[in-house]
Amino acid sequence: RPEHRRETARFWRENRAEAALRERCLVPAEEYERFVQALERALAEHQRREEERILQMAADIREAERRQRETVQAALQKYCSFFLNRTQLHTEPELCAGPSVCRPPAGPERDSPCTAEQPSPSRVQTGPDLAWMESGNVLTFIGHQEREGEGNVHTGAKPPWLTEEEDGSKQQIGPSYEDFLKHKEKQKLKKLPMERVGANFDHTSQTNDSWLPSFGRVWNHGRRWQSR
Amino acid sequence: MSFLLPKLTCKREVDQAIKSVAEKVLVLRFGRDNDAVCLQLDDILAKTSHDLSKMAVIYLVDVDNVPVYTQYFDISYIPSTVFFFNGQHMKVDYGSPDHTKFVGSFKTKQDFIDLIEVIYRGAMRGKLIVRSPIDPNNIPKYDLLYQGI
Repeated sequence: RPEHRRETARFWRENRAEAALRERCLVPAEEYERFVQALERALAEHQRREEERILQMAADIREAERRQRETVQAALQKYCSFFLNRTQLHTEPELCAGPSVCRPPAGPERDSPCTAEQPSPSRVQTGPDLAWMESGNVLTFIGHQEREGEGNVHTGAKPPWLTEEEDGSKQQIGPSYEDFLKHKEKQKLKKLPMERVGANFDHTSQTNDSWLPSFGRVWNHGRRWQSR
Repeated sequence: MSFLLPKLTCKREVDQAIKSVAEKVLVLRFGRDNDAVCLQLDDILAKTSHDLSKMAVIYLVDVDNVPVYTQYFDISYIPSTVFFFNGQHMKVDYGSPDHTKFVGSFKTKQDFIDLIEVIYRGAMRGKLIVRSPIDPNNIPKYDLLYQGI
């Protein structure tokens, strides 16, 4: 390629490298062509693989969703039949009619509720544990919170608890003067020894009218050694 | 179950809770009291709230009462639980698409307790986002619907 030759020549002149090396560094034309073709092929191959991967992921997600839906339906049908069994305590025909009312795609489970009531409670008990995660799929959906004009927590808008300006009463931020004084007192208290008497006195506990401090068991019965 | 936990009924009360709860994780459950999954979650919250009382404060919020918050947090599935610490919204990576809230219920009480502990420790160290200790199999799966895509 002519311009390739010119460029290498210029590069060699500018950096004053060995002339012998230059010949070796020249890329012959056919090598270049081969490289271009290989590049196209590799690119096509890569794109194809990426698309395949994405389709595979989509199929996996669809499959997982389908399985989730089926498990939810199976669990719901179990509950449905269980409640119907409980409400219909009368005769056999009614018992068998109950499950058949809610006949689901999952056939095999239907026979067992017809036989006896005793096994079914135990079976439904193990059911909810397995179906705990699947029932999370039926979270109540309360609608898109769409408000294009204002932002929300994801877009970094101002939080509502900071936007309240017309609340009125206290405009100052931070503790009041009394709180500050109390805080200073508490700091001083922290310097006192930890094992002093009454260190763990709970000042904030509510006491009723008949509360009295315990002072040496004056009004109490018992031995003297119990008065500690 | 929801009568055992305190409730917040209007935006002002929610604001008050966020701004005033100090040095403890604030747990806000957004949902409805009569929804099935909300009942499960409220049961776990109620049973653990006493043991976690030193680390966390739990409130229930009905999504119909506070449309501002429902829209701000983009709550499309209920129950959704949002965590705060000292007025700062805490994000948690559960392995689910949305880190700003926990959607659904917990499988066991221990999962919830572990999560609160991790959030508390992370917040004490100054981290705004922590990684959830819950096994990803126990996280409810849901489809996150993006608008306009």
